[in-house]
Amino acid sequence: MRISGFPPVSAVRENEVKMDFIIQAIVSGTLMGSIYGLAALGLTLIFGVIKVINFAHGSCLMVGMYAAYWVVTLTGVNPYLALIVVVPLLFFFGYFLQDIVIKPVLEAQSDVREPTEVIIVTSGVWYILDNITLMIFGAEYRVVQTSITGKSFEIGEIIVSTPKLYGLIATIIVSVALVWFLKYTKMGKSIRAASLDREAASLMGINQYRVFNIAFGIGTAIMGVVGCVLLPFYYVFPTVGVIFDVKCFIIVVLGGLGSIPGALIGGIIIGLIESVGAQFMASTWTELIVYLVFLAVLFIKPAGLFGEERDW
Amino acid sequence: MTKETLDKILKIVLIVGVFTLPIWINSPTYLQILILLFFYAYLTTSWNLVGGWAGVLPLGHSAYVGIGAYTSTVLFMHYGLSPWIGMLAGGVVAAIVGTIIGIPTLKLRGAYFALATMAFGEGVRVFIENTDKIGPFVLNGPRGICIPLNESFWNFQFMSKVPYYYIILIMLCIALFVTWYMSRIRIGYYLNAGGEEPEAAQALGVNVAKYKVIAMAISCFMTGLAGTFYAQLMLYFYPKAILGLDFSFEIAFIALIGGRGTLAGPVLGALILRPVTDFSRIYFSSILPGLHLVIYGLVLILVMIYQPRGIQEPLNRFYNWILDKVTGNIEKKGVKS
Amino acid sequence: MALLEIKNVSKHFGGLKAVDQVDLSIEEGQIFGLIGPNGAGKSTLFNCVAGLYAPTYGQVFFKGDEITGMKPWDICNKKIARTFQLVKPFKMKTVLYNTMVGSYIRSTNPAEVRDMALDVLERMHLADKKDILAKSLTIADRKRLELARAMATNPEMLLLDECMAGLRPNEVDEILDVIRGIRDSGVTIFVIEHIMRAIMALSDRIAVIHFGEKIVEGTPEEVSTDEKVIKAYLGDSYVATGN
Repeated sequence: MRISGFPPVSAVRENEVKMDFIIQAIVSGTLMGSIYGLAALGLTLIFGVIKVINFAHGSCLMVGMYAAYWVVTLTGVNPYLALIVVVPLLFFFGYFLQDIVIKPVLEAQSDVREPTEVIIVTSGVWYILDNITLMIFGAEYRVVQTSITGKSFEIGEIIVSTPKLYGLIATIIVSVALVWFLKYTKMGKSIRAASLDREAASLMGINQYRVFNIAFGIGTAIMGVVGCVLLPFYYVFPTVGVIFDVKCFIIVVLGGLGSIPGALIGGIIIGLIESVGAQFMASTWTELIVYLVFLAVLFIKPAGLFGEERDW
Repeated sequence: MTKETLDKILKIVLIVGVFTLPIWINSPTYLQILILLFFYAYLTTSWNLVGGWAGVLPLGHSAYVGIGAYTSTVLFMHYGLSPWIGMLAGGVVAAIVGTIIGIPTLKLRGAYFALATMAFGEGVRVFIENTDKIGPFVLNGPRGICIPLNESFWNFQFMSKVPYYYIILIMLCIALFVTWYMSRIRIGYYLNAGGEEPEAAQALGVNVAKYKVIAMAISCFMTGLAGTFYAQLMLYFYPKAILGLDFSFEIAFIALIGGRGTLAGPVLGALILRPVTDFSRIYFSSILPGLHLVIYGLVLILVMIYQPRGIQEPLNRFYNWILDKVTGNIEKKGVKS
Repeated sequence: MALLEIKNVSKHFGGLKAVDQVDLSIEEGQIFGLIGPNGAGKSTLFNCVAGLYAPTYGQVFFKGDEITGMKPWDICNKKIARTFQLVKPFKMKTVLYNTMVGSYIRSTNPAEVRDMALDVLERMHLADKKDILAKSLTIADRKRLELARAMATNPEMLLLDECMAGLRPNEVDEILDVIRGIRDSGVTIFVIEHIMRAIMALSDRIAVIHFGEKIVEGTPEEVSTDEKVIKAYLGDSYVATGN
């Protein structure tokens, strides 16, 4: 039975896929994957600490991208300088999102470990954000010319895209900073305590909701970084968040909810599937492979690569 | 008169009114709006079997609408099989697929189940969008399928909107009856118990996972039927319209706002929210596209925070209060019951 | 032949031996008590019988049939019912509804099931509250409901997990009567309890679990005067004085 649209393997061989293309794909995939991992980092932090699935995560990225877009367009600065504005903006955005919208739901469900109401509420936020953006800014795809857009350099025969490389660097910096923060600062330790048991932590004087707000703020601020990183080479449009939203969830489950290395490695795996897969099939089919991988992980080891075993 | 009598009278008036509506309303536009309203009410009622009773959050139900639509249409286009029979075939296929997906996913925790259904739903959409043909069957990828005009009962095509109105209305009534009946027999009790306190239910002899899968199968079957109905109503459908996250979420949102786990909730949700969609689309779509989704989102958040059991709860109380007032007043004026 | 036989059952969680080679036999018609300090492994042992856990080693037999590792719903079908230490009523449903869920294991006819449930509620003195939502009940009534629900499945054996925690002394006495009534109706009872006077008064035989092992088994008198038990509960300094 033939499924037309899917190229037969013999046609691939005829195209002479060389090792070079594969290596190029691996490099590009790893770079893009690290950016995916950065995006998933915020989500895994939020889930690991507050135990909520934030469906508005992609929309927060979208907000970050629009914020970065306007900062760059209005002031002409380098997108990485825009971080100064975008990151705090998104931090407070996330802080208040958690405080105003999610906290009431958590309070009503204080005995349930992972309330599904939060999924519903954050879905509502997602729809509101995406569509208000649509109403205000219109559906057009925006693009910004920056000093590094389209730039790349070569290592041997491999082309490395400069903005994506900066993305990798940003990922490394943010990850290290995050790990340091969680391990060595007082607030970081409070966050880790609250993630283990919110009631016990609150009994020990940690204001659990304040901790949640901050964790959420950090998670969203990271999305601000991703927004600035993506701006040089990605289109900005109201539903840009949706693509990343779904990918982030897949990455977070793949890597293990609450695991930082899991998010990063999961991101790279997805990036690799996309780029290497694109050598053999249309990119729309790689999307399907990603979903299949996701479902496989859910069924075989729902805890993910680095996640803790729980009674899923 | 007593409250119970007034309640019964109102309900009879409602049923008679709904069934005789096409006599007074001739405009195909308005009929179409009503048809779609019942269509969504039917979808949310079917969704409710899993999302309301089984206590999980299915966010990929549009896949089953699509499966139903594509199955019956492909069978019609290729074999000339009457869509009435194709409808049943589509329902069966949807039920089988739902069961296969349900068995591993219904064991997962709430959030994971939601994600799995989303992934599966999107997977189906991507698959169909990328597929022109499976063997001899034409799917046409993203362009969708257009059903050639050939009006006849057996072809499930009618020039007037009126037959469609009655068909979906009857389907809705059957769906409501099935839901009501299930709630009164063992499977209903077991599903409710398993959804609320799975460990306690298990200790009382309930194989919770098994009953969830049964609910899933029934729900997917019913949803598949709606897919065929949609295909025959519109005579044209394509993946982005009939499959995909937006549609799945819309069904879930309406059911949740209306009140999951109740009989009237999903219908009330559709009754109130669908006009919002139609209204905002007719009057605002150029100036404020997507307004109805913003409203859905806002209402959803407010409902989840203040009325997590849905608006059917305050509406029910209000209705009862009105009944009390009216029957109280009538008795005061000396009308004998 | 004993009704319930626990043969050399161990339950390990990683390196932790929560239950260590426990042997127990419970005869039909007995009330068998299980006591021990907190964390000794009593609930874990219960859960191994009730199907929530599968034992790492050992076997469990009921009426001669092996039930080791069976799922909780199959165990219930074998006529073993259990209650939970932290009661789990279906909060948004009425007392009658809750009980009917239990009765549905005996019949699929809704009218019959309703009658059976009402019957159980009568015997448990909860019939007057049948239309009250479970979430509105007092803690004592919730415990009663938990019992009623389990009894609705018409078990031959009932596992009671600390059903008296949180009750006032007069409520404890009431529940004691109820439990005795259940035994008199022909149900064998296996009970974990912390309230000493209750379990001493109730049980025909008692086993003491400490660090996962059974250290003593006997009549209430034998157990309460046993050196090892006193040491386990109160520490070495109390043993010297004997009784």
